[in-house]
Amino acid sequence: MNRPRRVAVSAPPGSGPRARPLPARPTPDTLLEPGRAAQARAVRRAQLRRAGWTLACGAVLLLGVPVLFWLAPGLTLTRALGLPVGWMVVAFAPYPLLALLAWWHLRAAERLERPDGPGGTENGTDHR
Amino acid sequence: MTAAAVVALLLVTVLIGARGVAAMRTTSDFLVASRRTSPMLNAAAVSGEYLSAASFLGVAGLVIKEGTGALWYPVGFTAGYLLMLALVAAPMRRTGALTVPGFAEARLGSRSLRRFCAVVVVVIAVLYLVPQIVAAGQLLTLVSGVDYWVGVVVSGLAVGVTLALGGMRAATYVQAFQFALKLLLFAGPAIFLLLLAGPQLRAEMAAPPEFTHFTRETPVDFRLDTDLVLTAPTLVAIDGVPTELGRGGHEARADQVWTFPAGAPVPELGGDRASLPVPGGEDWALPLLGTGDTTPVLATWSVLVATALGTMGLPHIIVRFHTSPDGRGARRTAAITVAMLGAFYLFTIVYGLLGTVLTPELYLSQGTDTAIVTLPGRITEGGTAATLTALLTAGAFAAFLATSLGLLLALSGALAHDLMPSGLRRLRLTALAASAAVVPAALLMVRVDISAAVTSAFTVAASTFCPLLVLGLWWRGLTARGAYAGMVTGLASSAGAMALGAALALPGTAGMLLAQPALWSVPLAFLVMIVVSLGDHVPPWAEDTMLRLHLADRD
Repeated sequence: MNRPRRVAVSAPPGSGPRARPLPARPTPDTLLEPGRAAQARAVRRAQLRRAGWTLACGAVLLLGVPVLFWLAPGLTLTRALGLPVGWMVVAFAPYPLLALLAWWHLRAAERLERPDGPGGTENGTDHR
Repeated sequence: MTAAAVVALLLVTVLIGARGVAAMRTTSDFLVASRRTSPMLNAAAVSGEYLSAASFLGVAGLVIKEGTGALWYPVGFTAGYLLMLALVAAPMRRTGALTVPGFAEARLGSRSLRRFCAVVVVVIAVLYLVPQIVAAGQLLTLVSGVDYWVGVVVSGLAVGVTLALGGMRAATYVQAFQFALKLLLFAGPAIFLLLLAGPQLRAEMAAPPEFTHFTRETPVDFRLDTDLVLTAPTLVAIDGVPTELGRGGHEARADQVWTFPAGAPVPELGGDRASLPVPGGEDWALPLLGTGDTTPVLATWSVLVATALGTMGLPHIIVRFHTSPDGRGARRTAAITVAMLGAFYLFTIVYGLLGTVLTPELYLSQGTDTAIVTLPGRITEGGTAATLTALLTAGAFAAFLATSLGLLLALSGALAHDLMPSGLRRLRLTALAASAAVVPAALLMVRVDISAAVTSAFTVAASTFCPLLVLGLWWRGLTARGAYAGMVTGLASSAGAMALGAALALPGTAGMLLAQPALWSVPLAFLVMIVVSLGDHVPPWAEDTMLRLHLADRD
């Protein structure tokens, strides 16, 4: 783990409300050029779809299990290795599953941002 | 020994904090550690900041009081970072705004919205900070015999001074150190206690006997006024005075100690606690919340929604992602945090089950928040027990300190940066002033239930900042007016419902939905935000501002 060199970064001149009376809205010369804007739209849509899948999996996992417990309370009290199955499902199972889901999402989200990701790369920036 | 451990911890915290002073120059330095923190270090800092009293002590205590369903709390706490990872971390970091109020202004171009967000930050931070300090005071009272106010003043001072000296740059190192410390002090004693426990106790942990009779002479030190229903006449020593109590309802006053003889039947809880499951009973063993008298699936969902969605809205956590150098770093930080928190929470059940077997009487006294530190003394004795208690106390104290540092930073940031003109000197003074203001509040609120207060902070955060962030980062159509309307609705409905729920104390599902409103207040806030925005005029620059948050970082 190599940490980047520390650089003193100061707040943008006057980020307090009184020091900067105008909100930070883009002026015409800072607007995204059409190519970049199209790329951003494509990336946003792809990221949103990816996030939707990840969160759907997470929701099924977290919100579904209580329903299962409620429908089959006897099942949760069946013992395996001495402990009720239901306790293990709540106390141990979610954490590796969530970590796996997080890892899966991270990889996919970073892949979407690579130059060969959605929207292509008209300006060929290498961001690795 | 315990006092020495806590003093050592305080010293190390202040020293690490002081180390940050030398290089600190600007407000940005103070707030976000100059944005040069690696994902691994930052994730440790996020976890260190996030694991509060509610995680270290509260959840295990809740297992005794509310049953194994309480194990859903840490699942929600962890899942919050999955949402953070998928929806918030990268684009939020790319806004370049220092705080949530700053984000609101940069994205929606409204200074009044920024001020309103700062007010919400203050509400959430106070709801979260006061119980931390309260818990610190109670813990010190229990383990070292000092007065409650001493513990409160000591912890308030330590947090305020560290922050004023080093700010968040210091806090990044402090928090990362605190995470390693907390993981060690939580997992180590858990494993050691399991080894010490012996086969019989371990077998009882797997199937805690129902708490129907006192197995030994048991003093119950009531934390709050408590209604009890005796099922048989019992000879109870009240503060040492033997008293014959008949069947039926009796009230135990706060701070009274009732000593029940061995073999006496355990009284039932009356009043608004009548619905709590009896430790070891069937309702207790079913891993769902609200198994007593509500709809368990809804009660469990409500807690999951509040904790998972509330995480992204906690102002002291969101600001932490700005210490990553770019959006990618922030996203990696969130992903690593999921794994780090999971590693910590795996050990919660050990304390919960040990507490249920060894200290079920805490379910009567409502003192479950301190169950963990009393456990070593029940399993072993002498030096080993004293050492384990000291280690656990130090870990719990680390939890209070770490969370309080972050909360105080968010609180003073909102006050000094958003509600007043910015400036480093003022920010430092605000940190001191805010901690000085929280201490008297903690002294007054000695009776607060820490887990309830912490969950209410999550609920308010989920009902206000969660919709603001999700819609603001992903939907070009969000307008300042829509955001305003949605957050006012979310704040009023969540805080209002919880206040009403506490005042009315309704039984059943209706009472649960008032006391734990996230299940409906969050969708309501989203709906209002969307509907009002749709009826409003979207400024032409809005799409551009939103889109550039999703472009890959480049140097």
